[in-house]
Amino acid sequence: MNVFSKLIYDIGRLWGKYWGSYLNGVKNTLILAVVATAIGVVIGLVCGILNTIPCSKNDPLPKRVLLKVIRFIVRAYVEIFRGTPMVLQAVFIYYGLPYFSNNALRFSSVWAAAILVVSINTGAYMAESVRGGIISVDPGQTEGAMAIGMNHFQTMVNVILPQAFRNIIPQIGNNFIINIKDTSVMFIISFTEFFAFHQYITGVNNLYFPSAAIEMVGYLTMTLIASFLLRALEKRLDGSDNYELVSEDQLVMAAGTYNHPDRGTPFDERNPEYREKVRQELKYGRPKGDR
Amino acid sequence: MADMILEIRHLSKSFGSHEVLRDIDFTVSKGDVTAIIGASGSGKSTLLRCINLLEIPTSGEILFHGKDVTGKGVNAPEYRSHVGMVFQSFNLFANMTVLENCVRGQVKVLKKSKAEAKDNALRHLQRVGMAPYINAKPRQLSGGQKQRVAIARALAMGPEVLLFDEPTSALDPEMVGEVLAVMQDLAAGGMTMLVVTHEMAFARDVSTQVVYMSEGVICEQGAPADVLEKPQMQQTKDFLARFRKG
Repeated sequence: MNVFSKLIYDIGRLWGKYWGSYLNGVKNTLILAVVATAIGVVIGLVCGILNTIPCSKNDPLPKRVLLKVIRFIVRAYVEIFRGTPMVLQAVFIYYGLPYFSNNALRFSSVWAAAILVVSINTGAYMAESVRGGIISVDPGQTEGAMAIGMNHFQTMVNVILPQAFRNIIPQIGNNFIINIKDTSVMFIISFTEFFAFHQYITGVNNLYFPSAAIEMVGYLTMTLIASFLLRALEKRLDGSDNYELVSEDQLVMAAGTYNHPDRGTPFDERNPEYREKVRQELKYGRPKGDR
Repeated sequence: MADMILEIRHLSKSFGSHEVLRDIDFTVSKGDVTAIIGASGSGKSTLLRCINLLEIPTSGEILFHGKDVTGKGVNAPEYRSHVGMVFQSFNLFANMTVLENCVRGQVKVLKKSKAEAKDNALRHLQRVGMAPYINAKPRQLSGGQKQRVAIARALAMGPEVLLFDEPTSALDPEMVGEVLAVMQDLAAGGMTMLVVTHEMAFARDVSTQVVYMSEGVICEQGAPADVLEKPQMQQTKDFLARFRKG
């Protein structure tokens, strides 16, 4: 028990002294993860649209060549950024830009570099998830949209991507949670996220384990809240299981001119109001003044 | 033939080495209700999909008001907005309500205002008896209801021709009637329709022209009374005899 009380004491000490730093780290980690995941999803959706532009033999040659080039670029992007470690990509881009431009260009803030790296990394993964999401939507949906005259872009934005998006929310959640954790490698370009503060703090006082315990609890809390929120979003997007029948007429028409199979005209015995009126009449007799 | 809408000339379609349609010739004039009948695999659906350019014909021409739509540089989406299509599997947009299904195309493709599109959509939904269900999602509807919404969606685009690809084949028997009733109502209203169907009664009573297809070619075409009651070709006789028995 001695060890545990010591741990609690140490954690209390650390927290008491450095709680501002820890919370600042949490804030930076969350902002980076949210922004980069959002941008990554947009990159993924754009890649998905570009990858699925239909190409038929009837199209003019320049269009076909252009489509081939676009597909090649998207493919190369996905393979390169999926196939190398993010920590290396960060170093590569952060130091590569000044190196190549003779220090003329450099990242004005480490924020921009971190967001860029995590976004394009997430985008590479999301491009494949979006492709899977698009494939999973019934081809009949595309035909239905084409049959009413929508072009590829309209079909994608109005019909396919909303359904694909719903299908890939679990994937987006995966990426978001991975980003919360893996943005910790951004300490390599001295981005001060949650884990970077652990390194600074333990560098001062050597309390590695108590600080790691704080980090563990912190990361787990963030990811648990994230997955809870994503579940809630999924539920919301699915919409209500029930729907309301619209009983009154949306188009106001003169009495007797509308005709609905389940409802009939106002003078028809199938009409509920008429039936009710007859029932009332039989019960109480015909009201005065109504003939 | 002043009011010729569609003219199919020498249309052929192959999937690889498999020839599905061979030298199809027929015309559709305004107000025609053309029933396309034939055994499964005879190319009826492919013909309809070629007419809507969902499949690109291998050779031949499709003239829409005298203009070929199969050539290069034709705006296929624009053409499709004049030619409505109703599918066997409904293909209602799963992410939209019934009303949105009928409104979105008008707003995005025809560039109508939301209010105007909604008004028009409601009119057509009312015509097919689905106005009370405007807030429902497609998955909450029965097959017959879905198909009636699909018809309203196609109508809302104000098409000059409506193509029906076996509209009742995926329905339970008790729901076939409600869809056929809507189609009959449309025919009576003067809508030009091309219907691939196995409903012989519909072909006989509603259509003005019957096309019998077999193995990718048109075997026989003419007035329903002629083709269905007095078929000339042996294949047509065999096909119809099978139907009477079955």
